[in-house]
Amino acid sequence: MDSAPLKKLLLNADPEFWSLLKTLTREARDFDELFLLSALRKKAHARQLPRPESLAGKIRLAILGGYSLYPLHEFIEHLAEVEGFPCEVWLGDYDNYIAEIMDDDSDLYTFQPQVVLLLPSENRCKYTGRLTDPRAMQQAEAQRTVESLLDLARRVNDKTRAEVIITNFMLPSRHDLGAFRSRTLGSDWAFRKWVNLELGLSAPPCLHICDLAFLAARHGGLMARDERSWFESKQPCSPALMVELAREAAHLIASLKRAQKKVLVLDLDNTLWGGVVADDGLDGIVLGDTSPRGEAFKAFQKYIHSLKQRGVLLAVCSKNDLAKAVEPFEKHPEMVLRMEDIVSFKANWEPKSENIRQMAPELNLGLDSFVFVDDNPAEIEIVRQFAPEVTTILLGPDPSGYVAQLQDCRLFEPRNITAEDAERTSQYRSEAERKALESSVTDMGSYLDSLQMESAITEFVPVDVPRISQLINKSNQFNLTTHRRSEAEVTAVMNAPDFVGFSVRLKDRFGDHGLISVVIGEIAGDTLKIDTWLMSCRVLKRQVEDEVLNELARLALLRGCSRIEGIYLPTPKNEMVRDFYSRMGFTLTAESETKREFELRLETFQPLPTKIKMIRRSYEPS
Amino acid sequence: MNQAEIIAELQKIFDNVFLDPVVLTPEISAKDVPEWDSLTHISLMVSVEKTFGVRFRVGEVENASNIGEFADLILKRKQEP
Repeated sequence: MDSAPLKKLLLNADPEFWSLLKTLTREARDFDELFLLSALRKKAHARQLPRPESLAGKIRLAILGGYSLYPLHEFIEHLAEVEGFPCEVWLGDYDNYIAEIMDDDSDLYTFQPQVVLLLPSENRCKYTGRLTDPRAMQQAEAQRTVESLLDLARRVNDKTRAEVIITNFMLPSRHDLGAFRSRTLGSDWAFRKWVNLELGLSAPPCLHICDLAFLAARHGGLMARDERSWFESKQPCSPALMVELAREAAHLIASLKRAQKKVLVLDLDNTLWGGVVADDGLDGIVLGDTSPRGEAFKAFQKYIHSLKQRGVLLAVCSKNDLAKAVEPFEKHPEMVLRMEDIVSFKANWEPKSENIRQMAPELNLGLDSFVFVDDNPAEIEIVRQFAPEVTTILLGPDPSGYVAQLQDCRLFEPRNITAEDAERTSQYRSEAERKALESSVTDMGSYLDSLQMESAITEFVPVDVPRISQLINKSNQFNLTTHRRSEAEVTAVMNAPDFVGFSVRLKDRFGDHGLISVVIGEIAGDTLKIDTWLMSCRVLKRQVEDEVLNELARLALLRGCSRIEGIYLPTPKNEMVRDFYSRMGFTLTAESETKREFELRLETFQPLPTKIKMIRRSYEPS
Repeated sequence: MNQAEIIAELQKIFDNVFLDPVVLTPEISAKDVPEWDSLTHISLMVSVEKTFGVRFRVGEVENASNIGEFADLILKRKQEP
């Protein structure tokens, strides 16, 4: 970090100082950088450097705990102020928090805090007996540890009405005890895990968890601690982790006051899919399981969809022809996001800042509830300049990092539980009990029923050709003939009048399996000859085969056939389907070392009943 | 590096950390610098360790009574493999 420009602004008493301070503070990762920025901020205050934006009133923040809180408090104060939430800080003495909280006349209560940050001592979070003591005994002590922390928090809240933020406990990162650490609650490892979990799950709404255990794990266990700084100055963690801890604390303090973001506005080309739909066409955009890049875009859509399920509204803002922009949402089989997921769809040639400004009254929300995501720096810049209330996220160059960028943006985090949530929990519980009862029936039929499977069968279409060809060239086990075909050959089949070809997609309540089965048949007089029948083994025993046969019979009858012929060509890998046609009701008509031939007469064929809900069948207008 | 060169490097770090300029000499100590309190000390040490690529042992920095002795300590730790 180059601090010279900032110092120069300070010396020149230039109010630009504050915005550069904010930028540098957001970027700072090192202890000494943040410390310097904080020192310069205090200097600016001392010199009464004018500030363009007025600050909110100061939050009265008390920090107490089992550590030296110096310089942690300095960082928290700095970060909170830079984010627009200046604090007046009261500091507890080193390891005096229990007395400060229990004593009604303590300075803590004189201070009348609005927010209390408590860092309990990890030395008091350990099992005091033997590693081999009975589990019930160890658990009782862990429970007492949790109760005493909850008591402290409740007491502070009762007396002051302050929101309480408590840090949980870092886990050990040394090999001590070996694998045995996971086999007894007497180890610090297991004891603290238990306490952390129970503390979080039992915390009342006024108590917020500052998840130090998570921060340390994210940062790296070995780098999270610094024994020397404990011995020398009773620091809670290593200097590097302290920066993260202070950031988290400031983030929690700010989120007590700050309104949540509600809308995620998405660019389309190279954001939701690879390529430009208007140039590359529906078949040309990169999306879906055919290529790694396509998978990355699909994963991004899936994550965005999960945000929608958490309650985030989704909107689209794209420089595009409306019809072209809508097409993938309506027609692309690999799209996760569909038109019904989008609350406002703007595809036109107006500046994006204008489009987002129009969305605000449409959705009856303030512009500061909007977050805009784009891969194009120029579009981000326009929104920053002309709709500065909107938070922007510039996606990096690699779509495999998109999900992580949103996951780390910290803009759509659920807040603490409310009474309403608690009510929902009890409703949910009865629902869960009902479900558990239902699913206790263990036969295959009710299991398949419970999967809520849905399937779509589609004749070969250009957009599916890459995935179809990929499966044809990759599938070995559930593959009756192992006929390989390139994309061009698949396209030839698609266009040949005497061939039928279709693919099957399957999803269930656990997720979308995508395109999992491919069938090619040749019509020859009164016979439909099965040229290719393959399926992904992931969906074995799900009755997909039965629906495929139903479809084959239906198409055969439509094309005037009275019988279906199937052949099995053995390979070293497809033994599993050697008797497949027999199982499906076909009759063996000829057999040699290299080939088994079967037939199915359609006069007597009855469609097989399945638990799959068919959304569509092939060669039908959808 | 010798003591004078170390002190010259230290001067840059101090210029960064302290707002009021301090001219370092071998004889100067924390008592002589109003801004050098226990808080700035922690930050100073983080910067010094980062800049010189050294790690002090527990408790030894406080045994250095002035900048000259501190520079010698840095030299000693720098010469370690």
